[in-house]
Amino acid sequence: MAKVFIYPATSLILSDLVARFGHKPLGTALSIRERIQTAGLDSPPLQMTPDDAKKGLKWAAVEVPSGVRGRMSLFGPLIDQAEAAIIVNNPDFAFGCMGCARTDELVEFLVKQKNIPILELSYPADEDEGIIFVRKVRDFLTSLGGNS
Amino acid sequence: MKEATVRIAQLSCGPEYSGVQKEIYTAAEAVGAEVFFPDLSLADIRRNFRDFGLDVKSGDLKLAIARAVALVEGAAEADAVFIASCFRCAEAAIVRNELRRYIHEHSKLPVVSYSFTERTTSGTLLTRMEALTTIARRRALLARERQTGLTMGVDSGSSTTKAVIMQDNEIIGTGWRPTTEVLNSSDEVIALALEEAGVKRDDLDAIGTTGYGRFLIGERIGADLIQEELTVNSKGAVFLADCQHGPSTVIDIGGMDNKAISVLDGIPGTFTMGGICAGASGRFLEMTAKRLGVDITELGPLAMKGMGEGVPMNSYCIVFGTQSLVNALAEGHSKEDVAAAACHSVAEQVFEQQLQEIDIKEPVVMVGGTSLIQGLVRAMGNLLQTEIVVPHHSQYIGSVGAALLSSGFVEKN
Amino acid sequence: MNWVIPPLYAGTITKYVFVESYKATPDDIAARAYEVSGEVMIKETCFGLQITGKEEEVERVIAHIREFDPAHIYVKDRGFPPGDPRRCRANLGGARPGYFGHEYEMGFIRRIAVGLERLEESVPVAGDERKKVPEGLPVKRLMELIEQEA
Repeated sequence: MAKVFIYPATSLILSDLVARFGHKPLGTALSIRERIQTAGLDSPPLQMTPDDAKKGLKWAAVEVPSGVRGRMSLFGPLIDQAEAAIIVNNPDFAFGCMGCARTDELVEFLVKQKNIPILELSYPADEDEGIIFVRKVRDFLTSLGGNS
Repeated sequence: MKEATVRIAQLSCGPEYSGVQKEIYTAAEAVGAEVFFPDLSLADIRRNFRDFGLDVKSGDLKLAIARAVALVEGAAEADAVFIASCFRCAEAAIVRNELRRYIHEHSKLPVVSYSFTERTTSGTLLTRMEALTTIARRRALLARERQTGLTMGVDSGSSTTKAVIMQDNEIIGTGWRPTTEVLNSSDEVIALALEEAGVKRDDLDAIGTTGYGRFLIGERIGADLIQEELTVNSKGAVFLADCQHGPSTVIDIGGMDNKAISVLDGIPGTFTMGGICAGASGRFLEMTAKRLGVDITELGPLAMKGMGEGVPMNSYCIVFGTQSLVNALAEGHSKEDVAAAACHSVAEQVFEQQLQEIDIKEPVVMVGGTSLIQGLVRAMGNLLQTEIVVPHHSQYIGSVGAALLSSGFVEKN
Repeated sequence: MNWVIPPLYAGTITKYVFVESYKATPDDIAARAYEVSGEVMIKETCFGLQITGKEEEVERVIAHIREFDPAHIYVKDRGFPPGDPRRCRANLGGARPGYFGHEYEMGFIRRIAVGLERLEESVPVAGDERKKVPEGLPVKRLMELIEQEA
């Protein structure tokens, strides 16, 4: 079972398909869960604190806006763990964790910097494209091995 | 009686991820307001975003735009709007600016915009949130145009403390002191103002306080009105400048931070507060006067005699600003030219950093102690290409505003 | 509101289950989940379920309900446990940002469902080649066009 970074990291479709075909999807829900389950934090709603923006310095310089650095503290550890990635290019409307275009650009770049298998595709525009989309994802995930 | 909760719509990108959303909640709660996110469907988001026409890439900015349109069109209801995005983000700065302007022009909602870092605290946001709630809650009080009865206003600023006594729409007593210990300074200025007015504390019908020390002093002297300086100063400015109707712009370059306020019918619509460094404040001019060996009251006339253009000066930072001051004198520039350059530098900082965030509408009224420095007023007028209005008693602006507004409590008392 | 909330379900995970099926309503799926729910907590929602519990327990329940209509039931991790006041619509005044993301993807989930249903078909799909457009206009063709217009 490979750890597969998904982009958008909040995607229901990608998360579902990766798990369905036997691998572990790495999305931001995992990073948020870690914070929500940490006792002693008092920074609603996401329990992200100014420290997260400082942790984000590992991936983005201090001159980068705090929201980018904070978001990078969610994405960065996931990218570090990733053994493969599926990237949907130009998702039309993505909010919250994926709501900053500058962060998204950096995340995509950092994923591509890693020497891991990457599948890039677009959301399907019709049913025929849906068939291709699912096949490509399945074939990619199968190529990663494991029990898919 | 508990006042109704003011509902502030938040349009933002980034605070949750910068760890400052809680600070926003806390500041709002402290002034009896609650922050909420206008509810929309995805279809509404698409339509509103497309209709607005600013094609940004970030999803959360698209959401902010869609929510702003919903507020203006009445699809979502709010009492005030708080726009916030990350400091140093160009994409968000464009959205912030355009949304502020759009809401100001198309609705009566008071709006404030702010760019935060992870260091932003609720304390920094408090005065802004308080001003938003005051405007939403006290429209009737802010509409007051005449002072009645015998009232006193006390303004506890970072540099100076001022008191004014008014009776039947006239100023009859004033007091002024540098702020040292907050309560002592206020006791002194109150005594001075009472003496000049020839009245006793017990004669007063109502009292209002404003400025940094407003809560402490207000509680001590039993003030009827304790209100932040953004709304109080705007009111005082349009009252003294006799422009209570229609649009106006109020600029108050203070000792610690600066206020720029877009006013309509005496009520602030949009405003900014702050400044990057004391280099863009009255404090830098005080230092300049000290270095030139003149009293601060002489700096203005001195600057009027000088030509600042030939002296390089950038008070973006008070340390570097002072350095260029020293260099300029060492290079043989005259005191007059250096004084003029210092005034121009401060005006330029305020112009570049703050006046871009509000809509400048004439008349432009300059108030606060720095408005007495003619060189600064001239520099600002040159930058804005307009004749700046400096009303009488402009250095007492907060106290006058507080005395005027507190007369709304005269009948109750 | 008191925002200081201790971790409510430490050591658990929560997963969303989205249902977009003509065979089963969210209610049917919930009933199926309750059959094997054991220790997990199940919350019914307008789009399906939220299931909270120990990871292996949650996976077991999900495997069971997926069998019901595999191509029309979708699952995703959630960071928050169900009903958390920090993410509750009633407290925020509006939907949390993630909601819109789900609304967006659920808008075309039917295309994914078709993809899953026809996964094993060996015939090539018409659309597979369709999108391949030449990478620019050949000079020869451009010349022809110019001559036509002249």
